[in-house]
Amino acid sequence: MRPLPDWLTDDRETAALAAMLAPDSSSSLEALAAESRAITLRRFGRTMTLYAPLYLSNYCSSGCVYCGFASDRKTVRHRLEPDETDRELAAMKKLGISDVLLLTGERTAAADFDYLRQSVEIAAKTMQRVSVEAFPMSVAEYRALADCGCTGITIYQETYNRERYEALHRWGPKKDFIDRLETPARALEGGIKSVGLGVLLGLSDPVEDALSLYRHLRHLGRTYWRAGMSLSFPRMRPQTGGYEPPFAVDDHTLARMIFAFRIALPDTELVLSTRESAAYRDGMSGLGITRMSIESRTTVGGYHETENKEKGQFEIFDDRTAKEFCTALRKKNIEPVFKNWEPAYNGPSDGNTAIIHTGEPQPCH
Amino acid sequence: MDSLQLGSYTFSSRLILGTGKFSSAAVMLEAVRASGAQLITVALRRFNREQAEDDLFGPLSAMKGITLMPNTSGASTAAEAVRAAHIARELSGSAFIKVEIHPNPQHLMPDPIETFEAARILAKEGFLVMPYITADPVLAKRLEEVGCASVMPLGSAIGSGQGVATAAMIEIIIRESGIPVIVDAGLRSPSEAAHAMEMGCGAVLVNSAVAVAGNPPEMAEAFAEAVSAGRKAFRAGLMQKSGSAIATSPLTTFLGTY
Repeated sequence: MRPLPDWLTDDRETAALAAMLAPDSSSSLEALAAESRAITLRRFGRTMTLYAPLYLSNYCSSGCVYCGFASDRKTVRHRLEPDETDRELAAMKKLGISDVLLLTGERTAAADFDYLRQSVEIAAKTMQRVSVEAFPMSVAEYRALADCGCTGITIYQETYNRERYEALHRWGPKKDFIDRLETPARALEGGIKSVGLGVLLGLSDPVEDALSLYRHLRHLGRTYWRAGMSLSFPRMRPQTGGYEPPFAVDDHTLARMIFAFRIALPDTELVLSTRESAAYRDGMSGLGITRMSIESRTTVGGYHETENKEKGQFEIFDDRTAKEFCTALRKKNIEPVFKNWEPAYNGPSDGNTAIIHTGEPQPCH
Repeated sequence: MDSLQLGSYTFSSRLILGTGKFSSAAVMLEAVRASGAQLITVALRRFNREQAEDDLFGPLSAMKGITLMPNTSGASTAAEAVRAAHIARELSGSAFIKVEIHPNPQHLMPDPIETFEAARILAKEGFLVMPYITADPVLAKRLEEVGCASVMPLGSAIGSGQGVATAAMIEIIIRESGIPVIVDAGLRSPSEAAHAMEMGCGAVLVNSAVAVAGNPPEMAEAFAEAVSAGRKAFRAGLMQKSGSAIATSPLTTFLGTY
């Protein structure tokens, strides 16, 4: 078994964060909220960037205990064909969405790299920003995705506790803890501009995981100084398969975590998805979170089909329409931003002054 | 008439306003009006041709009496900034481009190497190039040499509100520059803007301080007044600072009149 990297256990940088996260912390939640709010306002202003997920496929080759798409689950397996992807994207555009996160399960023959690359190409034709949450890839594969217009990779470690990780991931490629840990670095090495990290709250001790997450982010930031980074705080929701999270995280603990990360990382994008309730998301707007998903469907083909009977990966909590959601944001004096990217900035991130291409971007192969 | 000259453009206002971070386009437009600013910068990534709701370009382009200066915020290389400048010119028709290249999306510090390269290319192509840079006197002269319309050194990090932390370097840049020096980024209060103008800046650019103020239009107006007071003070000539009191009985009277 490959050993853990040194940075994962280095606690020199985490003292301040640990003090804020400790259950018996001397910082009151209200004081943390006030500081987090002030930093967010100064750095990000009164805006919220919006995106939506598109599930391309629910085929999967891994056996994650907690996941509704695990390969032993008896569920209808499906993938979007190119014309269906087009149709889904068109339905999303009608909702105002121009920033899309494409999702698949772990690598399978049905949803492999070529399939994913083709899907990115399709999405990049109409969406202003395309990111991917799929399976770990090689540096060369990430570079090919960047060439096709993929700017961001989301890859959660789920838990940084290796023992828990081994127990939760029963089989398949995702079972390799170290390979997964090294995946964001491979994405950045391949020229992907930003990575999204996170832990699935509920699987293991949340404070321990939060500190490891912080170390992971700092390690990547030092190594890949051009990297954009975002952090998510997904809590376990009732899953297809009915897994009960053994370390359930309550509303206060999650809030403390969000505020503490905002204070520790004033410039990092913090994401909160529709896994959370409308009331919780509205409450958190302006206090630290800077990016939210809207109109989420967690089924394959959920945007075009209005009456989808399939079970998604997990149940969404905030099921408001984009319009309802934006109205709530505006009431809080926050502008919903659908477009905060420009495709002119697509392509691998490596700065290279020596060769300037002023013409059209190179065609995607 | 004391006016700001950028290329062939003349502006009576020396306050330039940024348009990000506002709670709505309506508040932003109100702040622009209240500021009296005539040159307004807007990020190409906030041009939304498909959805009017969060588009900043549409409402600004409909506004009379202002000149738009698109910026390349989001670009991390010279090549990306050059591509963005072409798109921005096509969409906005503006001769101006504010070159912003900050490859680290965390601290948003401008990359001097990529910025220089993009500015060189774009100036050659006829753009009025306004480069956002660190307060580096040598870089400022290099950018002037390749034909930039101004240089825009940062007062402090974007959105930090730390004021003109780079004052010593900006003083050198102003002293040596043949083009307007515009302090961009970091200003928190009107008094800091006045200070920058007293130093001899050609203009200041403000965004966060106005956008996140309790009352953005009122803050925009306050900045406008401070900028004009600072400029007036610079033109009037500030009294010299002295480290010690000036003796009323000078020490060198015994030398007689020279």
